[in-house]
Amino acid sequence: MLVLKNVTKAYDKSKRAVDNISLEIKKGEIIGFIGPNGAGKTTTIKMITGILSPTEGSIIINGVDISKAPVKAKKNFTYVPDHPAIFDAIKGIDYLNFIADMYEVSLKDRRKKIERFTKAFQIYDALPKTINSYSHGMRQKLLLSGALLPNPNLFILDEPLVGLDPHSAKILKDLMREHCENGGTIFFSSHVLEVVENLCHRVAIINKGKLVACDKLETIKKNKNITLEEVFLEMTKNE
Amino acid sequence: MNKFISLTKIQVFDFFSKYTQHLNLNNRWLKKLAILIPVLLIIPAFNLALSIYKVFSSIGIPELTITYMYIGNVMMIFFACIPLIISNFFYSKDLMFIASLPLKEESIIFSKLASVYLYLLAIACLFFGTAVIAYGIIGGIQPLPLIIGIIALIMSPLIPMLLATLVIIPFMSIIAGGKRRNLMAIGGNILLLMLILLIQITLTRVEIDPEGFTNLMLQEDGLLKLIGRGFPPSIWLTKMIQGSFLYGGLFILLHIILLYALKLMSHFLYNRALMSFNQSDGGVISNNNIYYKSRSRGFQLIKRHILIIFSNPVFTLNTVLTMLVPILMFIIMSFTGQLNNEIFRSEAIAPYLIYLYAGIVTTPAIIGNLSATVITREGKTFWETRVLPITTAENIRYRVYSTLIISFIGSIILALAAAAYLPISLDMMGIGLLFCITATLLFSTIDIAINIERPILNWTSPTTAVKNNLNVMISLVVRLVIGGAFYILYGLMPNYSGHTILLIYSLISIVLFIAVYYVITRWYIDKFDSIIY
Ligand SMILES: Nc1ncnc2c1ncn2[C@@H]1O[C@H](COP(=O)(O)OP(=O)(O)O)[C@@H](O)[C@H]1O
Ligand SMILES: [Mg+2]
Repeated sequence: MLVLKNVTKAYDKSKRAVDNISLEIKKGEIIGFIGPNGAGKTTTIKMITGILSPTEGSIIINGVDISKAPVKAKKNFTYVPDHPAIFDAIKGIDYLNFIADMYEVSLKDRRKKIERFTKAFQIYDALPKTINSYSHGMRQKLLLSGALLPNPNLFILDEPLVGLDPHSAKILKDLMREHCENGGTIFFSSHVLEVVENLCHRVAIINKGKLVACDKLETIKKNKNITLEEVFLEMTKNE
Repeated sequence: MNKFISLTKIQVFDFFSKYTQHLNLNNRWLKKLAILIPVLLIIPAFNLALSIYKVFSSIGIPELTITYMYIGNVMMIFFACIPLIISNFFYSKDLMFIASLPLKEESIIFSKLASVYLYLLAIACLFFGTAVIAYGIIGGIQPLPLIIGIIALIMSPLIPMLLATLVIIPFMSIIAGGKRRNLMAIGGNILLLMLILLIQITLTRVEIDPEGFTNLMLQEDGLLKLIGRGFPPSIWLTKMIQGSFLYGGLFILLHIILLYALKLMSHFLYNRALMSFNQSDGGVISNNNIYYKSRSRGFQLIKRHILIIFSNPVFTLNTVLTMLVPILMFIIMSFTGQLNNEIFRSEAIAPYLIYLYAGIVTTPAIIGNLSATVITREGKTFWETRVLPITTAENIRYRVYSTLIISFIGSIILALAAAAYLPISLDMMGIGLLFCITATLLFSTIDIAINIERPILNWTSPTTAVKNNLNVMISLVVRLVIGGAFYILYGLMPNYSGHTILLIYSLISIVLFIAVYYVITRWYIDKFDSIIY
């Protein structure tokens, strides 16, 4: 579903924010992308979503190279960034209709899904209000609802659990699982290790721009009786 | 005091950094341009000061140059500072952060005004500054008037700026909690500008009875009093430059009083206006209506870009005011009696009427330069359209369409207003509109290239996004250059009629438009894709 081949990003010539990463994610998988602050998670995700172009390497989404056929590739995924900075002078419902039009969601489908997701996230009643009155968490939930709306093949999230209350976080985790069970693929970055631990099929660990591990949790732990936290701290410690 | 200075420094840097941002990025042409722009603007200003100086020195009172230019300067600063104060105080994103710092209320107010002041001083240097230099240098250097003149120049933005602050901030506190406060802010401030104009105009038009007039003129400073009565500080200023301590004292005292008034009111201004405006949820529109409606992508994207302008009062004021400049100038000039219907019906004007008309109709494209900031205006929300399944070409195209729509609406309003007032025939109207369409297409395509080249997405004060950045300047220079080229061409061409010449200009614009369009679809797609936000 998602293939990264030797992807590198250098914002300036001296330093590589992302250094020669290769990854392959199969359909139906949930992959957790973890690493310390500044490791290059956001940069990698921005390249996958076409916001940034890689300095080297290629990114293939559902068999389509995003740099060669961006529109075709972009039809396959939706994205929720780590900051909910969206144009906020419109109403919540305007935003969702906007997204639905962009991904050509039928009227019947959009009504059903908007009601379902926004009611689950408890923002349905706020939809007729302009987004500038929403709290940080409400904006995030609006973005999540919008991103789930087109039922994307690939769902990409950057730190989705930061800023969500436990109740909303639980709903999001359930929705993520459900999306996967219906054949969807999820790629998300996170700091919250427990979530990664009990949600993901596989984990990718990035440190200083380099991929240091990418495998099933049990394999990474080498079947030793240690937690992901210990593995994480070991693999990303400063020499 | 130290806190105040570092706070001011941060704000001023933030306000001006966007002007120079990217300047030294491997582009020495831009660097040269940045120096060239002020020079290009000083030339006409200096010419104006010189010709006014000539008139007044021919009747033996050259110091009236100072009086005259000072009044003009005050008016201009009123116009410039009202949107600026609103942007800096009420729509700036750093207020909540600053409010959390351990600072006195007056420090916050004055530090915010400091960056406004510096911007206004730049404008004052251009107009009032040239007058001071002209007066102090022509006919032999006069050190004392020159020094006092420079002091006066430094003080000149203060009166209009402080007065405007004292009026605007309480007004904004009244509308703070209102539902449609953005609309109120726009409407209220346009009204305020109109009011200032009207006061100025009625003051200068007060008819003096013939006896009083003769009496006035028989006095020593008759003419000075006549010109300066619209704004008495201008009289004091003139006398100060002539060396009067008494009037100099008065002039300085007025500034001190205004500064002190603002200091006294700063507690009220801060708590009642600034904080209440930034804390209330005014501007939230809700009608309990959840709808499901399908629209085309183009419609949605164009709507987005248009709403970005009209949901932000600073963007709206900037857009509306620049597009309506001809109407404002027209109102001012006809009130002051410099214009009347007769002039346009005279034989001498007739051959130029078509140029005048074409120029008026094209104003929104010439000074509006909406496309030059269409990416910048999105600010931190720019990423949104980047991840959508649309092509980059579409992404760019719908931005241009949105600015074309606004620009053409402005042009249509001006076309109708001008046609109602000027003796214009249908064929003149047609050619004027043709020129307008071609020029608008050309300028907005050039502008989008400028914006792709220098996107400037991380602004904190909306004025920085639409006014106070080099992109706007560059786009004005492009217009100066093309305008200059047309002017030279005009001189080279044989005695064609206005119709023919405008047709030729339109044809050139179309050809240039096609060329620029080709360049954009060729090279700027990749540039757009590599914008880092
Ligand atoms: N726009 C940018 N310009 C230059 N450097 C950047 C930019 N964005 C991120 N970086 C650098 O790239 C590195 C990785 O950042 P990021 O991908 O945001 O990390 P993460 O999301 O893992 O915390 C950091 O060292 C950061 O300083
Ligand atoms: Mg990050």
